[in-house]
Amino acid sequence: MKVFSGMAISASALTAEKVRIDVVSSNLANINTTRSADGQGPYQPRNVKFQEILDQKNTHGRGVQVSSVYKTDREPRMVYQPEHPDANDDGYVAMPNIDVAAEMVDLITATRSYEANVTVLNASKSMAQKALEIGRG
Amino acid sequence: MTSIVQFLELGLDASALRQKVIANNIANLNTPGFKRSEVKFEDQLKSALGGQAGVSLQATSPNHINSQGSRPGAPTVSQVTNTSNRADGNNVDIELEQVYLAANSIKFQALTQQVSDQFSQLRYVINEGRR
Repeated sequence: MKVFSGMAISASALTAEKVRIDVVSSNLANINTTRSADGQGPYQPRNVKFQEILDQKNTHGRGVQVSSVYKTDREPRMVYQPEHPDANDDGYVAMPNIDVAAEMVDLITATRSYEANVTVLNASKSMAQKALEIGRG
Repeated sequence: MTSIVQFLELGLDASALRQKVIANNIANLNTPGFKRSEVKFEDQLKSALGGQAGVSLQATSPNHINSQGSRPGAPTVSQVTNTSNRADGNNVDIELEQVYLAANSIKFQALTQQVSDQFSQLRYVINEGRR
């Protein structure tokens, strides 16, 4: 229904930004994780890729979606800690290579985008409500 | 009376379309390579009202395409591909979009108000001036 398609566009953006925030939380939570879930060395930071949802029928897009959440391919940081159980023969531990500043910037970007889309959603909602008042009184 | 409502309806349709296009622009604020779109409507309507229907397709041969196309004054969506001041190729400016959003919202509400007024005028006339 056309009235609600505008809201669906904003909803898709809220979902996508939420995924991005979840990825940032995951990266920051695992900043000291030396053993990843699959056992292949330290935690690899994740990143998201956004993509516009296109629609052949309409002249405008239908919002945004997360096309993939992928593991980045960074070299781990080597930290000298010989007493650590995961230290290698030289006494170095492979720690995840997470750039805290970059993660915080992503977090702020995602939050700001989320707030902007909530504003759009409220505007669409109030427009629809105003349309309901046509002919009344 | 009805033609006024028809024009207001055109304005409402265009405003609703503009709302969706702005929503799509803001939704794709962080999408790399995305270019914003905009809705052109006011100029189309002005030329349609002024009687000059812009440039119409003159078919001088039966092989020419004829312009059944859209009715005069219909809104068009076009992509803005020229500007980009970000490293990821995205050209959505959030502040501008918010301003367009606010302006469009007010315009829509003004149009719905006018449509309501048209109908209440009709009701007044039907009631022969009594309330």
